[in-house]
Amino acid sequence: MTTRKLSIAVKLGEHKAEAVRYAAYAVSGSAYVHISPAKGGLRVAIEPKPGCGPAPALAAAFRRELEDEELRARVSAENRELREFLLLKAVNYRPAPPPQDDSGLTPQQEKELNDLIAQIENEIRTEAPGSDPLGITSTWEDRYESKKRSRKAR
Amino acid sequence: MKARKEAGRPAKAAAPDFNFRRLPGGRVLLTNDSGASAVVDEAGFRAVAAGRPAGKTAAGLEAKGFVRERMDFEGYAAARASRNTFLNSGPGLHILVTTLRCNHKCLYCQAGAAPAGGNGTDMSRKVARKSVDFALNSTNPGLTIEFQGGEPLLNWATLSDAVVYARRRAKAAGRDLRLALVSNFSLMTEQKARFLLENEVSICTSLDGPADLHDRNRVFAGGDAHALTVRWLKYFSERADRQGPGYRVFKPSALLTVTRASLGRARDIIDEYARLGLGDIFVRPLTPIGYARKLWPEIGYSAADFAKFYRACLDRILELNASGTQLRERHAMIMLQKIAGADPGYLDMRCPCGAAIGQLAYDYNGDLYTCDEGRMVGWEGDKMFRLGSVLKDDYRSVMLAPVSRACAAASNLEAQPRCARCAYKPYCGVCPVCNYESQGSLWGDMAASDRCALSMGMFDALFGLLQKPAKAKILNGWIGQ
Amino acid sequence: MKTEGVSVFFDSEVSSPEAVRLAAAVMGGRMGVEVSKAAGGLSVRVYGPGASAGTFANEALNQQCRIDLARVNSRIASIITTKALLSAAGEKPARRGRK
Repeated sequence: MTTRKLSIAVKLGEHKAEAVRYAAYAVSGSAYVHISPAKGGLRVAIEPKPGCGPAPALAAAFRRELEDEELRARVSAENRELREFLLLKAVNYRPAPPPQDDSGLTPQQEKELNDLIAQIENEIRTEAPGSDPLGITSTWEDRYESKKRSRKAR
Repeated sequence: MKARKEAGRPAKAAAPDFNFRRLPGGRVLLTNDSGASAVVDEAGFRAVAAGRPAGKTAAGLEAKGFVRERMDFEGYAAARASRNTFLNSGPGLHILVTTLRCNHKCLYCQAGAAPAGGNGTDMSRKVARKSVDFALNSTNPGLTIEFQGGEPLLNWATLSDAVVYARRRAKAAGRDLRLALVSNFSLMTEQKARFLLENEVSICTSLDGPADLHDRNRVFAGGDAHALTVRWLKYFSERADRQGPGYRVFKPSALLTVTRASLGRARDIIDEYARLGLGDIFVRPLTPIGYARKLWPEIGYSAADFAKFYRACLDRILELNASGTQLRERHAMIMLQKIAGADPGYLDMRCPCGAAIGQLAYDYNGDLYTCDEGRMVGWEGDKMFRLGSVLKDDYRSVMLAPVSRACAAASNLEAQPRCARCAYKPYCGVCPVCNYESQGSLWGDMAASDRCALSMGMFDALFGLLQKPAKAKILNGWIGQ
Repeated sequence: MKTEGVSVFFDSEVSSPEAVRLAAAVMGGRMGVEVSKAAGGLSVRVYGPGASAGTFANEALNQQCRIDLARVNSRIASIITTKALLSAAGEKPARRGRK
């Protein structure tokens, strides 16, 4: 015979009344729940809604929720002030302004300067061979890497 | 009732502030108000609760704010602020219902459609212009005016006038304005399409799947609803692909409204969207308002059934993505953006909800409502969600109207017993209109709410997929991560 | 004479009178509800079509949990709601001269 209704006794010495209510609320989507005082605690009556249940499974879910609610109550109590502080901080948050460029140049001037530098670098790179007698524009690798390769080959 | 005594001194290592949800397989999802999330095993969960995570996951948990003694307050506040930017401004979405007339008889219509040949339910040009002026009072720097109905093309004179007027007024006021049209396309012509494109009106329609499904849901006596929808979707898609000088063309979007007939046809529906080259699909559950409520015994379904269907849709979409077909699901994208820390501007999933302070619905006669759903309740005779009128009331008094305040209070997740302790709180939202219609109060009872169960089903599906690296990669790719 | 409907007792140690009366207001649109004082709490009789003592009890529990939560969260909730409303409403218009 399927159990239609279950009653669970909860000792108030072990669990707080609010936790019992929240745990009962958590299963109230699948069951009708009614809480009444009992000796030393509370009695939670659980009756599965049509199509939900069975009652023992819902009662087990209630007990699990009750343990979890005790944790939630502790977390809430320990963090109440911190939560308010962080919320106010978030609500009043303004992102820091981007760092100011202190070159004294406008963005347009910066761009023009960068374009000019790039142009000159390009001209230097594409100048005819022999126009750099002191080898100023060639890198260490350009000068010595080929010698290293030919020494290895020997 | 005895007053409850405050907790005393915290334990040596205090627990961080977090919510949790037990997942199948013994794992636990943790989240906090900054929107960070982590999935841990039972031992890891106990360690976090004891304020002492250890091992390989400790550094990651610390970075996400799950170690109280090492919290980055600035970072935490910045993250929370960034996902809640809507708290800094007013309504961004303004829905102008240019007519209640419609030439379709969709089974789930919540628009309060009047017959196409009727009269007395068209928005006049004067009311449309007043509505545009009212919208420009919003404190939101970005505005979207969305033309809806009925079928808005049935009142072309007002619609086209409002488009031109809105563009002119927004330009003069230096406001960023987007225009959008929601239409069934049955009355679209080349001339109208050109006008809409040249005025940068983005286009949205409904597509409920292949022809048999679409036509079953969206009854159109004047022709082939599915064929017309497809024809104009292709037209606007091709124009978006071509672009051209002078104006931007937005890709058209389509949304799916899921009815009982849709369940079991996830693959057919997704494949239809893919066949048409649509980039996005918006899988929307039915809301029990309007015709949908009356026909619920025939077209409705349980939250569990919807969750199963939604998972099937996501599975098929991810399959297609893996084989090279680009298709994204909009609900998932919204949720992913929220999980990643952004504010996607989705009015149904925010705290408080967007009723009045995030969106406004302007009825054909100038009456203002908290949202389109609220307007529908008004059409049925209950003016609970009526805020005022563009013809009489000023913007500020509308924003602070009693029903605006009531909806903001009722949709505040910190005041809802289930939501305040839910792991999905940073990403979710409550609809006072749905609560009122289905449960008899603005606050509702989330433990017994179908809408809550639906949302949780979708979040469960998404977080489940995010635990699988290959699927997470595709999903995060949808939002550019 | 048989009393129509079903009666449920709500002990005020568990369910505050406020919670029960809020539940009555919500459920009143759905079923007949009669609330009366009884020793130690309130007695509620639900009657008529759609009457369900279980549904009423759940709503009373819902309301009581809201009240419990407000004791802890009301300040946080108020900050968010106030910020949202004032941001939407914008600046108060400047006062004009008296008429």
